[in-house]
Amino acid sequence: VSGGGEAAVVCLGNRFRGDDAAGLLVGDRLRRAGVPVTECADEPTRLIDGWDGVGTLVLVDAARSGADPGTVRRIELGRAGIPRELGLTSSHAFGIGETLELARELGRLPGRVVVYAVEAGTLAAGAPLTPAVAAALDGVAAAVRAEVGR
Amino acid sequence: VTEREIRTDYLARVEGEGAMLVRIRDGSLEEVQLKIFEPPRFFEALLRGRQLTEAPDITARICGICPIAYIASACNAMEQACGVEIGEEIRLLRRLVYCGEWIESHVLHVAMLHAPDFLGYDGAVELARDRRDLVELALRLKKAGNELMRVIGGRAVHPINLRVGGFYRAPSRSELRALVPELEWARGAALELVRWTSGFAFPDFEQDYAFVALRQPGDYPLERGRIVSSTGLDIPVEDYERHFSEEHVERSNALHSTLAGVGPYLVGPLARYALNQGELTPGAKAAAAEAGLGPVCRNPFRSIVVRSVETLYAVEEALRLIESYTPPDPPAVPVEPRAATGCGCTEAPRGICWHRYEIAADGSILEAKIVPPTSQNQKMIEADLAGVVAASLDLPEPELTLRCEQTIRNYDPCISCATHFLRLEVERL
Repeated sequence: VSGGGEAAVVCLGNRFRGDDAAGLLVGDRLRRAGVPVTECADEPTRLIDGWDGVGTLVLVDAARSGADPGTVRRIELGRAGIPRELGLTSSHAFGIGETLELARELGRLPGRVVVYAVEAGTLAAGAPLTPAVAAALDGVAAAVRAEVGR
Repeated sequence: VTEREIRTDYLARVEGEGAMLVRIRDGSLEEVQLKIFEPPRFFEALLRGRQLTEAPDITARICGICPIAYIASACNAMEQACGVEIGEEIRLLRRLVYCGEWIESHVLHVAMLHAPDFLGYDGAVELARDRRDLVELALRLKKAGNELMRVIGGRAVHPINLRVGGFYRAPSRSELRALVPELEWARGAALELVRWTSGFAFPDFEQDYAFVALRQPGDYPLERGRIVSSTGLDIPVEDYERHFSEEHVERSNALHSTLAGVGPYLVGPLARYALNQGELTPGAKAAAAEAGLGPVCRNPFRSIVVRSVETLYAVEEALRLIESYTPPDPPAVPVEPRAATGCGCTEAPRGICWHRYEIAADGSILEAKIVPPTSQNQKMIEADLAGVVAASLDLPEPELTLRCEQTIRNYDPCISCATHFLRLEVERL
């Protein structure tokens, strides 16, 4: 899949919910390094409007799969479809997975989409970051910078 | 003994936070348990000790879909506590940005989350496959609401331009006029939404709801008003706790709200419509009549039509407010802290959002109490589920589960913005 056009980075999460802040904290690091980042702490369908002309889209979010907290996964979306492990199985909660799939359906998905998922420990309101998650953030930021050539 | 249990974790984006259980024993309904909403206790604790001026920004973080509702309720409460009158121009600008939130939130729910239920699609992605035109229309309509929030609120998400006492900066007339062409388009699009949704097939189900909404003569309720009910209640917002109570439910962390002498009650589009439809714009009234809504709608499945009518209302109201807009000068009135308690209540897209703050003389917050709409509706949703399940026991499991989810979605519950993480089911990479 060709990745011409601009690169865009979207960081998702909720700063008030423990490790759900992981994506946004990676975004803070990227911004400090001069990488433009779109932050999303609300519903993500509005992001689609920002993807016109984008060739490479990198998403950073917290994930929940039962793996050890702090585990980082890199998933490159293929032409065939968005992999099931992105959590598209639930019906209607409109998350980032559904938004990507909708953008694809509408012909507005960037040519290359890479997702960095940081496995969360706790998502409780007001909880501090799990140490293993905190320790993973610099590495994810560096990987994203390499991804977008910044 | 045959026992059927239906559980759905579609709302369970955080374990223990959202869950539904329906237990059927020997062909009859035994129990419905719903836990879909976590009250914002964390935020109430976070607010204690902060300055009153920080409350709008902090409470805006409770919900990514309806930040204006929390900001407006917090501002109203602080202004009441400090004895501040904001004046008409500031109030109308607040009302205008609130219209943007209604458009955005309602359209997201109507087209992306709820409509697929009625049309047999798994979700908006499948709907887009067959009806790309409608999904494109919805996304553009939603964007018109986003733009109102961006221009007035400073940005579309977590608006930063609103403050206790008014705004940091008032947009110019020309900035708002620039939004008019798209809002004119949105008027037609919203009418299309009403016509589309009113043609759906609705389950034959009604409840004898006790409706609760704000009322402000001359306006469809949004940013102010008294709290009224279909059972005859008519009180100022500061009397809320004398008539409404939240009881802790032992089997979950949920709170159930009740109205004294009445029991569970309903807030949101059906309640606003039943208690205020005379205040709709002529265009929205005509659309409601054409959709066959009548003076009172007691079928919760038809809330999707009422939401569409309210979307049309919000577009027309936004156009009216922009037409008569005078930039408030100054954009905010001064707020001098004093030791006092203030209450604020506004109509979030999902229903009334009530706040109370106790303030010290130095402006610090001693106590905060926030009652969001979904927490008030939770007991009513359970009652709806019990009624829907009892009437649908012969449905096969998948259909019954879907019907239950659809029943919950009638309420547009706030759960969707509690967290944003991917649910990964595969552990390896």
